[in-house]
Amino acid sequence: MSEWLESAITRAQSINDWLAPKRANALELLSTTKWPTRKTEAWRYTPLRVVERTKAKSIDDAAIRLLPVAIENFSAIELAFVNGKLDESQLTNALPKGLSISLGQNLSDSEKAQALSAFSTTKPDRHLFGLVNDVLAQDVVIITVEAGAEISEPVRISSLLSQGAESHTRVQVSLGEGSRLSVIEDIQAQGESLSTAFVEYNIAAKAHLEHYRFALQTGTNVSIGGSHFSLKDHAKMHSTIVSFGSDLSRLDTDIIHAGEFADAKLNAMHLLDGKELFDLHATVEHAMPNGTTEENVRGIVADRARSVFNGRIHIHRDAQKTLAELNNRNLLMSNTAEINTKPELEIYADDVRCAHGATVAEIDKQALYYLQTRGVSRSKAQVMLNFGFINELIDLMPNAALAEWVRPIIRERFAQMEVK
Amino acid sequence: MTEQIDKALAREYEAGFVSDVESETFEPGLDESVIRRISQMKNEPEWMLEWRLSAFREWLEMEEPDWALVDYPKIDFQAISYYSAPKSMKDKPKSLDEVDPELLRTYEKLGIPLIEQQMLAGVAVDAVFDSVSVVTTFRDKLEEAGVIFCPISEAIQKYPELIKKYIGSVVPKKDNYYAALNCAVFTDGSFVYIPKGTRCPMELSTYFRINEQNTGQFERTLIVADEGSHVSYLEGCTAPQRDENQLHAAVVELVAMDNAEIKYSTVQNWYPGDEDGKGGIYNFVTKRGICHTNAKISWTQVETGSAVTWKYPSCVLKGDNSVGEFYSVALTRGRQQADTGTKMIHLGKNTKSTIISKGISAGKSNNSYRGLVRMNPGADGARNFTQCDSLLIGDKCGAHTFPYVESRNPSAIIEHEATTSKVSDEQMFLCRQRGLDPEKAVSMIVNGFCKEVFKELPMEFAVEAGKLLEISLEGSVG
Repeated sequence: MSEWLESAITRAQSINDWLAPKRANALELLSTTKWPTRKTEAWRYTPLRVVERTKAKSIDDAAIRLLPVAIENFSAIELAFVNGKLDESQLTNALPKGLSISLGQNLSDSEKAQALSAFSTTKPDRHLFGLVNDVLAQDVVIITVEAGAEISEPVRISSLLSQGAESHTRVQVSLGEGSRLSVIEDIQAQGESLSTAFVEYNIAAKAHLEHYRFALQTGTNVSIGGSHFSLKDHAKMHSTIVSFGSDLSRLDTDIIHAGEFADAKLNAMHLLDGKELFDLHATVEHAMPNGTTEENVRGIVADRARSVFNGRIHIHRDAQKTLAELNNRNLLMSNTAEINTKPELEIYADDVRCAHGATVAEIDKQALYYLQTRGVSRSKAQVMLNFGFINELIDLMPNAALAEWVRPIIRERFAQMEVK
Repeated sequence: MTEQIDKALAREYEAGFVSDVESETFEPGLDESVIRRISQMKNEPEWMLEWRLSAFREWLEMEEPDWALVDYPKIDFQAISYYSAPKSMKDKPKSLDEVDPELLRTYEKLGIPLIEQQMLAGVAVDAVFDSVSVVTTFRDKLEEAGVIFCPISEAIQKYPELIKKYIGSVVPKKDNYYAALNCAVFTDGSFVYIPKGTRCPMELSTYFRINEQNTGQFERTLIVADEGSHVSYLEGCTAPQRDENQLHAAVVELVAMDNAEIKYSTVQNWYPGDEDGKGGIYNFVTKRGICHTNAKISWTQVETGSAVTWKYPSCVLKGDNSVGEFYSVALTRGRQQADTGTKMIHLGKNTKSTIISKGISAGKSNNSYRGLVRMNPGADGARNFTQCDSLLIGDKCGAHTFPYVESRNPSAIIEHEATTSKVSDEQMFLCRQRGLDPEKAVSMIVNGFCKEVFKELPMEFAVEAGKLLEISLEGSVG
């Protein structure tokens, strides 16, 4: 076991609050968990040396003011964690009818009991840092949408970290039957910081979740997160994930079809440069029949960066009539960069249609040549082609304002990539 | 402490090195003295014994792999006997009447000639002498071409230089748990050497090799194709083979020198166990080939037998422009479990690999494809295409795909595709409409599903493989 984990466990032992029973359970699991090595399948390509060596520590300084980046033509209900602490003044604003947002510790006893029973049920126990988050997350935000409520204003949850800070943030979202909500997770971290950010979504029957996760910071931070979704009968989700890498960026997504006729779409893209690392482990569990899943994952990896993708689709015995598709495409831009991808299918039901595809290649040389013959410089042509590769997924984003916001950021990123 | 050590040492001595060369089967158990005895039985030179012992010491330090999607009770390696001499004539069944009628029915369906049936069932009859004469003419022809094809134990005596140079050069002693065990205790296997520029005049088959019976559970094959040569090698046969040994841990090493080509075809149909999966063979095989410049290695396998299969025939594409291929049909039924696939390691420039894997699961079986495609930084312009298709028959089986794709070269292109489906109602309806009974219909659909792989097999083999699938699928429809 690493010193870092030992210290996390020691720190956790002194916490005693409304989550005590769940924290005790996670602590017990943690004490028996082995620190991952290259032989640990889930961390095979992602060494944890940077976590072992991190100097990040929790910073409790009210003087530190950090603000989430502004998005043009876009307004949202803003919730910002600063170094893991939520500014409670944000919770006093009036909320649309049917939506409630509170800190776990401020809930009434009956609400607490309900939140406690839902805590850590969508997130699987196998995520080591999820367990760390279970025991260390202080301000747990509970977001609830009443049955039938359609909330048009999105909720943006930002996790902001200052230089050298350590933070553990946790959010629990429940969508009542037939409700609708849009959530944006946004990670903005400064150098030498370490964060774990986990969000659990319980999506009731016929409810619809629109989900975004942006991690557009780069640099020396360690950013480990998880977005976990449980879908009931006829529930729907549409998720878009845009990530740049860092010293270590790891995201685990779990989509659980816990009801029939659920529909999940996940579009993820990552653009890596320098010596960044990004690791996406996306798991889909089809536990019930008639579900559909469509996953598109695209990566562009330049310079000395490394990308890891593990896309697992597990069709359980009873999940007949499932349709599941996973498409993973990668562009490798340099001979010192590395792409490791593993699309997995584990299927126990016979009347299903499942497919996955994965490709790794470089930019189409002929397309590049064509553009150059038309007078476009090589570097510009490269940006154009790269952008086209990702733009297909940006176009699928349901929220136009967010798409317009992220497009130039990505274009800028490509322009930086080609300089090297 | 020292007392305990002394005791332990003394105990080992009790079992004794004083080997009883006369005895036909060793007592169960494994320690250095057993390896010394095997080596002595085979009359091996000192270097071979040293090689075995160093592998054994490595093995003691290793752990049994547990990453494959297979489930079987823990193997007690001390409960296995590591050597048994070929059965003497008097222990064998006197005629086919004494052989399990179930087995004979299968032979009949496969259309196997009587003499071969007797051979396969291990019947002691004079007829076998006929086949010996076949083998002799066969040997003459090979000798004329300069091809060496003999048991590996014979090669260790006759061609020590070749063996020393190549054994363990593709699959190192400590490559994996079962390979290390095989290095320590292998009893026999084949050795093939094709001289420079030679095209082997016929397809080589283990089936025709003298001393084929009872090569034992730890078989070792080494094929070296020298520059510009060509060989096609067939392993196993379609007929179900009986074997008392439950654990099989074979190692196959292929070396294709510049411009050489090796085609290695396998049909594996070991006993899969009864309906509850009891008593079947555990087939844990390490197969790997190395391709030098412009060389080509092609693996084709049809896997229908064994209770547990753990097998990943691989190619190390070391030389520029070398080619690796893997064509596989794996069928599981009953309680069978197969975890099989390939590794293509691209090191040289413009190397190419193709992987076509067809998995068919029926009954309560589990069938997994597990593969690795790795493009190293030097593999400029390398290319891989992978296609894994799974077919499910019934709702109690499982089909899984675990492909690892690792690229460190931007000019390399990798494509991986996988699909899973079942025999569709429409397909069945169409066939039934045209008067085919359900079993025939399924077998036809399955044969079509496997066509891409069957066409890679030598002709007679392909026909037999088709028949084999049909028989294996009997009773799994409806």
